[in-house]
Amino acid sequence: MMLTIYINGTGCISPQETAAGGPLLANLREYEQVKLATVDPDYKQWIDVKQIRRMSRVVKMGVGAANLSLQAAGITQPDAIVTGTAYGCLDDTGVFLTKMVNQQEEMLTPTAFIQSTHNTVGGQIALLLGCNGYNNTFVHRGFSFENALLDTVMMLREGSAQNILVGGLDELTPHSYQILSRFGLYKKEPVKTMELLKSPTRGTIAGEGAAFFTLGTQPEQHTVAELTGISTLYKPMWEGEVIGHIMKFLEDNNCTPNDIDLLVTGRNGDIDQDDIYEEVVEALFPEHPEASFKHLCGEYPTAAGFGMWLANSILADQAVPDVAMFYGKAPRSIKKILLYNHHQGTHHSLILLSHVE
Amino acid sequence: MADLKKQIIEQLNLQEVTPESISNDEPLFKEGLGLDSIDALELIVLLQQHYNIRIANPEQGPEIFYSIRSMAEFIVAQQTAKA
Repeated sequence: MMLTIYINGTGCISPQETAAGGPLLANLREYEQVKLATVDPDYKQWIDVKQIRRMSRVVKMGVGAANLSLQAAGITQPDAIVTGTAYGCLDDTGVFLTKMVNQQEEMLTPTAFIQSTHNTVGGQIALLLGCNGYNNTFVHRGFSFENALLDTVMMLREGSAQNILVGGLDELTPHSYQILSRFGLYKKEPVKTMELLKSPTRGTIAGEGAAFFTLGTQPEQHTVAELTGISTLYKPMWEGEVIGHIMKFLEDNNCTPNDIDLLVTGRNGDIDQDDIYEEVVEALFPEHPEASFKHLCGEYPTAAGFGMWLANSILADQAVPDVAMFYGKAPRSIKKILLYNHHQGTHHSLILLSHVE
Repeated sequence: MADLKKQIIEQLNLQEVTPESISNDEPLFKEGLGLDSIDALELIVLLQQHYNIRIANPEQGPEIFYSIRSMAEFIVAQQTAKA
């Protein structure tokens, strides 16, 4: 019998007011722009002013989301910390490289350099908690969060930890936005939040955020969901491969498309990128209610973390906020949610959550 | 010394600290502002960038960076020697 993995606490800092608590997405932040920034809570509630001065935004949002997750779980010390980030601490990387160029590689200060590595966030969380346990960061582009999650699941199942803090995060900086825009990733014109997913043009909106989860092998009193399964698929040749992968994934987790009460997809409003969601829905979930999330948080390689946070919150509320609903009406009882996301058409992932009664 | 305090606040990104709140004579490290070894490197770069002063003998560091006053006196002494 496979060990059940419970989501005992979540924390999310995103372009929505997700760190503030209260009813799920009740105060929608509506944007009409192509890049979204996080709504930042007061980080000084978790970080001493003497330490905060060296932290860039992504470090602060990671530490903040991690603390929210641990607080929700009622845990002060996890057995391990696992993070996933595609871009790492980009802002400090930009600061350091700019200084290298401008100052002809002389008189370089150490702070930006030592804060610019991908595992800075995981390290800072551990330092603040005094956590000497396993600490690992996965930097696998669009699978960074998923592989952090997979590592966590494997560790919990092999019994080497009882509670693990795991999260995915990425920041958007002026440098990264400029570079990624050159690849045609983003729309040329601003789009309204609630119109993005019906947008008839190429490109999406850029986003950022941090989502952390405290996973454990024992449920807490407030636990509402279990992480039933996770799977990734890299560079499928055609949509049939994705459809087959989803069927196999559901089968491996002892269910069929009929058992899925809500589909949560990573649609991002790019007509080219969203095609595959249409194909999957048509083939497997033609009448299923569907929710989406990237119009709320923007596109970034670890956005599936926001999707998983949303799915867990939906299971807690047993309702889908109107602003997240894409198609149909959610059933009264939501027992299983399948999150299907892809990043850039190359990194496809599936996360299955089940309601804990 | 007021300019030096502003430069230190900016270079070290000190939060909730104003030039007026920094005493001329209190220790910069451990006590006082509570600076650490990374800050020491930042202060060495500050001296190079703003005053074109290089610290030839690293062992002088604790003495030079003891307080705002000791830093200011070191800067003045170096500038006078160059003039």
